[in-house]
Amino acid sequence: MDVAARIHEQLSKCGIKLAASLPDDWVAPLIERIAADNHIRHVRVAREAEAIAICSGAFFGGVRAVALMGATGLLTCTGELATLNLRHQIPVFLIVSQRGSIDDHRIYQEVQGRRTIPLLQAYDFPYHILDRPDDVSAIPDAFETCRMQKRPFVLFLTRRLVKGEATA
Amino acid sequence: MRAGEAIYLLARHRGDAVAVCALGMAANEWWAATKSEDSFYMHGAMGFAASFALGLALSLPQAPVWLINADGSLCMNLGCLLTEASQAARNLKHFVLDNGVYQTVGGLPMVNDGRTDYAAIARAAGFPRARTIEALAEFEWQLPAIMGEDGPALTVLRVDPEMGFLRTPPMTYEGPEMKYRFGRALERRFGIEVFGPQGY
Repeated sequence: MDVAARIHEQLSKCGIKLAASLPDDWVAPLIERIAADNHIRHVRVAREAEAIAICSGAFFGGVRAVALMGATGLLTCTGELATLNLRHQIPVFLIVSQRGSIDDHRIYQEVQGRRTIPLLQAYDFPYHILDRPDDVSAIPDAFETCRMQKRPFVLFLTRRLVKGEATA
Repeated sequence: MRAGEAIYLLARHRGDAVAVCALGMAANEWWAATKSEDSFYMHGAMGFAASFALGLALSLPQAPVWLINADGSLCMNLGCLLTEASQAARNLKHFVLDNGVYQTVGGLPMVNDGRTDYAAIARAAGFPRARTIEALAEFEWQLPAIMGEDGPALTVLRVDPEMGFLRTPPMTYEGPEMKYRFGRALERRFGIEVFGPQGY
């Protein structure tokens, strides 16, 4: 089973019924798997903060939701995560590509790589990194932690997990 | 028409609709008219009441959901119209109070100085139904048809700008209390589980 299928399976175990997404190329295969799942309402958005607010609204409808995006998109959402989710203690579960890592050889991702984790720490947002296929089984625990902590929770996908070992 | 008049008229036709209000004037006027706890009043995330309302409407298809938006908030996230049109939630109605100013901060003018036709933008984004209403009598006359139509539908209410900081005061609770009052109200009304057995 490929990584996207394993993550999808774990999200289904969590009872996820709505997903809101804006792709980068690392999370695109997972997004398309979810989009093909008739048991999950998939919402394509035009800006990542829409996904945050859609998942927050879904919380009040009693529906478990996930927002999927790239690391650059996460950086654009910090105002909404603070003034909606922190202010009201609304949990929102995010799956985000961990761009700008040492094996992500893309110059336009480098700035995000050095600043994303310190930014989350400054906001006191919990996060967890999935780096190996076996790590994927931690998703239900991460989702439950998000609910208990009543905050945004970021689950990062590394390059090694979603693309394999870098060769150049 | 005055914003308060339009909101009071809207509130009289509310029925069992669940409301999501953009921060500032829209939230304050809806609170003044309804004092309702089964409404969510945004205190931040300007522009994203629309997305919140869409997420709620998709998750609670048995409930009519009303978005009480304002022109300042709509302009901060015009892309919401694309998403709303694409999802085509039949239970979602979108109202926009359009006064042309940032009223809550003292009535400073907005970027577009009255040049923009939001209903036309919504139609171009894929809304099958969108209109602009200029007068209270016209709004009252059109309300039965608006109430009877399926979403996605946008109704822009052209209202007078009113000066004075926080002329209509905000709701008397905020933060986590807003979350729990709103969530518990929805649990009671719809028999859903927003919070788990241990309260989170």
